[in-house]
Amino acid sequence: MKKKTKFKRRDLISWLVMLPSLILFTFYIWEPLLENVRLSLYSTIRYQTVNFVGLANYARVLKVPDFKAAFVNTFSYTFWSLVIGFFIPIIMAVLISETVHMKSFFRVGVYFPNIVPGLATIWIWNYFFTPGPTGVLNILLGKIGIEPFVWLNNTKWTIPLIVVTMTWKAAGSTALIYMASISGISADLYEAATIDGASIWQRIRHITLPSINGLARTLLIMQVISVFQILYEPMVLKNGGPNNASISLMMLVYRFAFRDSDFAGAAALSVMICIILIILSGVYMKVAKKKEEY
Amino acid sequence: MKKKLVGFLGATLAATMMAGMVAGASEEITVTLGIWPEDTLTDEIAMHEGFLEKMKEVRPDVTYEPAYYKYSTDTFMPMVEAGTVPTVFESWFTEPQKLIKQEAVADITDQLEERGWLDAMNPSIRELLSDENGHVYGVPRDGYALGVMCNKALFEEAGLVDENGVPQFPQTWDELLETAKTIHETTGSAGLCLLAKDNAGGWHFSNIAWAFGATLVTENEDGSFTANLASDEAIAAMEYVKELVDAGVLTADPTSEDWGTGFTQLATGGAAMYIAANDAVNQPTQANGMALEDLAMCAIPAGPGGQFSLSGGTPYMFSKDATPEEINAALDYLEIMGKTPIVTDDVVAGLEADAQMRKDSGIPVIQKFPCWINQDFLDAETKTIEENANVDPALYQSYFDAVSSDGLRTEEPGQTQDMYAELTKVLQAVITDADADIPALMQTANDNYQAILDNPVVAEAE
Repeated sequence: MKKKTKFKRRDLISWLVMLPSLILFTFYIWEPLLENVRLSLYSTIRYQTVNFVGLANYARVLKVPDFKAAFVNTFSYTFWSLVIGFFIPIIMAVLISETVHMKSFFRVGVYFPNIVPGLATIWIWNYFFTPGPTGVLNILLGKIGIEPFVWLNNTKWTIPLIVVTMTWKAAGSTALIYMASISGISADLYEAATIDGASIWQRIRHITLPSINGLARTLLIMQVISVFQILYEPMVLKNGGPNNASISLMMLVYRFAFRDSDFAGAAALSVMICIILIILSGVYMKVAKKKEEY
Repeated sequence: MKKKLVGFLGATLAATMMAGMVAGASEEITVTLGIWPEDTLTDEIAMHEGFLEKMKEVRPDVTYEPAYYKYSTDTFMPMVEAGTVPTVFESWFTEPQKLIKQEAVADITDQLEERGWLDAMNPSIRELLSDENGHVYGVPRDGYALGVMCNKALFEEAGLVDENGVPQFPQTWDELLETAKTIHETTGSAGLCLLAKDNAGGWHFSNIAWAFGATLVTENEDGSFTANLASDEAIAAMEYVKELVDAGVLTADPTSEDWGTGFTQLATGGAAMYIAANDAVNQPTQANGMALEDLAMCAIPAGPGGQFSLSGGTPYMFSKDATPEEINAALDYLEIMGKTPIVTDDVVAGLEADAQMRKDSGIPVIQKFPCWINQDFLDAETKTIEENANVDPALYQSYFDAVSSDGLRTEEPGQTQDMYAELTKVLQAVITDADADIPALMQTANDNYQAILDNPVVAEAE
């Protein structure tokens, strides 16, 4: 009996330690999330719910002409971010880890774009991508005799180029995480491999990459979740244009909420984005688990 | 020590409670002025400090608190919910109907009626600030009508000025194209800054479409709307935009140009012409450093369908939580500013102070688009402007001749922002795709807009 009381007291202390986090989580994460779901099922005036309307807001959002373009584009952003942005941090991390001289310099160098404020990054790239002879990239190309390019105004290139700007900014911080993981790999493994005559590529292939495999999987799903919510880059660069070539689902949420004050519509679309992400994460985890089993 | 502390806290508590009771007893009215200028505009702040001094005499029972607020769509609704909206604030011309529908602003019809101001308000502006039952929710700060702002220095460089140095303003859209070509060829600058980044693109385009004879949406008897973006006239207007694109007379990337960058292009010599309104003459000059004498303004050019300028008004609006007493006190402040139809010595002094501030800040002191139509106010305003004129009236004459004619139109009805968004998408396609199929694009825009009109936001309160 005495033992049980002691256990309870210890339990209480643990709960007390967790309490601040639990309160903050409830207040800032869970309550707004649930409130958002509730909001999506009602007609609203400002943020106030008026009448229960079931799934009418969802149906309305699906009928918005820009929805299809935003939906397709958001997947396109995710696809291109994986093609362009997923491997670059790994390559940077491996290369810097293998570097002997000036390691810190390169480490700071790759992280540097990350400390530039997001909007400033966008404006820098905007000057680079200006079409016509006044754009920075076109001036540089002009030096070697190449005609000006229209960059973001070529609708086939709009999304990949926006992803390039995002990768330029974010790859450094992801590379740091990989570097930390690589530095945790036992030096004995490399030594043994070197003694056995393994080349640098063989060392990377058989020691480094398998060691960061688990981390890469986690970062992949985090990247998908993050890029799926892309908002300010296309909004500031091209406001979703030209002709919807870069509009994203989160931009539509923003328009519903802040251009039209249609908070119910914004809530409905947010819930839809959340469901899509849950499905994507679930599918990915299942596939990854199956692969592990084999 | 402990006793002393308890005693001190007790005394503080009692004092606070008593202070609260005294404050409650006097029922002092407090007005927060969201219209207070931002910190960098020192001349304007000095002017408002003068107004505050005057208010101490006129309304000693009221405390006016400066509370600079720059309206923005992402902060406003949360502030409404939190009850922190200033008593009086300035909004954008696009916002009144949305704010009225969302019950986010105060109905001030009774206060305006008591003061006899309702009938003095320019009817077209009053309509923009009213709900369907005729209740009024705002007071116009400025009326505006779109015209074409010109960089006179570029016109001179291109040899497009008359013997008096007044630019040879284009009278028609065809003339505008020719003028733009001449300027581009001789100066290297863009002839025109066309907007195509956001809804301002569609907003400007509606003026071109009207000149080509288009009506972009019609309201039906049952209250529904029919989109009309794919008419022959609207398509012809968009074909004209393509001519501008093909002639290479626009800025490097119109799809990156918005309302603000347009003024920068005009002021810095990046473009010679820009569609803008008379109430924004501070933008190229004060905000972008353009010399006062380099700015000129003409009417929106005419087309086969006539000459039309879009007009509207920038409103002062009031917190939905403001009491009638607070609204009245705020209206008294606007009166001293010279923004109401009342003419007294104080109001004339307010108008003078405003004109002087403009002179000091290098902003053209030009005629205003009338918000109020009572003759005594119009006379007082005209007199102040004439006495403080700091620009050659000939540089603005063609603009004011046109906006006092029958060519003024207010925004199209229906969900106008969505219409602008659809038109902007077509503009972007025309600018970025040399093979753009304009009739097909306009048909898609029309279908999209009609779908939006047929699919309104779920019904509000029963």
